[in-house]
Amino acid sequence: MRKKTFAAVLVATAALSLTACGSSDNSSSPVAEVSVETGPEKAATVLDKPFEKPDLVLTDTQGKSYDLREATKGQPTLIYFGYTNCPDICPLTMNNIAVAKKQLPKAEQDKLRIVFVTTDPERDTPSELGKWLKGIDPAVVGLTGSFSTIQGSARQLGISLEPPTKDKEGKVTSMHGTQVVAFSPKTDAGYVLYGEDATVDDYTKDLPKLIKGQTP
Amino acid sequence: MRRPIAPAVVMAGCLALAGCGGSADGTDAAPDLSVRSAYMPQPVTESLAAGYLTVVNKSDSSDDLVSATSDIAEDVSVHETSGQTMKEAGPLKIPAGGRLVLESGGNHLMFEKLKHRPKEGETVSVKLRFTKTDPITVEMPVKSATYQPTSAKSSSTSSNSHH
Repeated sequence: MRKKTFAAVLVATAALSLTACGSSDNSSSPVAEVSVETGPEKAATVLDKPFEKPDLVLTDTQGKSYDLREATKGQPTLIYFGYTNCPDICPLTMNNIAVAKKQLPKAEQDKLRIVFVTTDPERDTPSELGKWLKGIDPAVVGLTGSFSTIQGSARQLGISLEPPTKDKEGKVTSMHGTQVVAFSPKTDAGYVLYGEDATVDDYTKDLPKLIKGQTP
Repeated sequence: MRRPIAPAVVMAGCLALAGCGGSADGTDAAPDLSVRSAYMPQPVTESLAAGYLTVVNKSDSSDDLVSATSDIAEDVSVHETSGQTMKEAGPLKIPAGGRLVLESGGNHLMFEKLKHRPKEGETVSVKLRFTKTDPITVEMPVKSATYQPTSAKSSSTSSNSHH
C-alpha cells in the first residue's frame, strides 16, 4: 500500500513539473528491494535487504591493483558507476558528494571512502580517470578494468550496465549507473541508495550519519 | 503522451503547461522564441561541459532547436538522456505556445574540446540555430559544479528511481 502511494505522488510531481509532456523516458531499470518508509522528501532510500559489498578487484588511477573489500573494510564507503565522457549526471553526482564531504570535520573526511567505477573502461584509462577526478576530489578512488568485471559488480548492487557502443561515426555511447550506494562501516553492507536527484544538501545532511553507519 | 498511468494527473500537468505539442500548429505566424535560465555548471575538465536552458515559444507556430555552436568549444551538440545513456538528439521541438527545457538529467547541450576550462563567474556564449527562427545567441553564465536551478525540479531524473 505504501509503495503505491509513493509511486503516485512521484508521478504527480513529475507530471506537474514537466514542461514538455510525453518526453520523459520510462526505461525500466532494475530496482532493488526498497523500503519506502523514508518518504518521498528524503533522498536516501534505506534498503530492507542490504547489498553485500562486491568482491571487486580493479586498477586504480595509479595503475595499481585495488581490492575493494580489503581497501574499504570497516570504512564508510560510497560507490558510483559512471564515466568521464559524461557531461551531465556523472560530474554532478560526484561533485555533489565531493562538496558535501568538504563540510565534514577533517577526521571524518579521512574516514570516508568514495569510489568511482568507470562504466567505459576502454576510454577511462587510469590516467584519464585520475585527470578527471583531480578536477572533482583527488581523494576519490577511480577504478577501471575489464567491463565484464565492472558489469558483474554493478549487477550485484542492482545496477544494470550495458557495454559502451560505437556508432558509424565512431561516437561512443556509454551508460552510467542509476544510483550511489553507501556501505556501512559497521557491517560493510550497502544499506542506503541515492538517486540522481540527490543534492549537495542531501549528502551534507546524511554523510555524518553514514560515516557512523547510522540510518539517515 | 499516451501513458497508461494516472491519466488525470498527467492531464493536469499538460493543462498547467500551455501546450503539449498537440495544440494549434497550423498557422503560419513566425515563432516568437526567447531563451531563459541558461547556465553551464563549471566543468571538471576542458574536454567536456554541459549547458542547460529553456526556450520559450510565445507564438502559435512550433519550431525546432537544430544545432548549437560556441566560440569556446570545437563542437557543441544537442544531447539527450535516455535511460542511463546519453546520445546526440535530432532536432528538438519547441511547441507552439510551449517550451523546450534542457535540464540536468534530461536534454542538454554538450560542449566538447573546450579552449579552456570555464570557471564559475565567467560567461560562455552559445549560438542556437532553429528550423524557422533566426539564430539566437545566449550568454550562458558559468555556475558552480553543483548548481541547481531552484524552480525547475527535473522530472526525468526521478524516472529511474522508482517503479
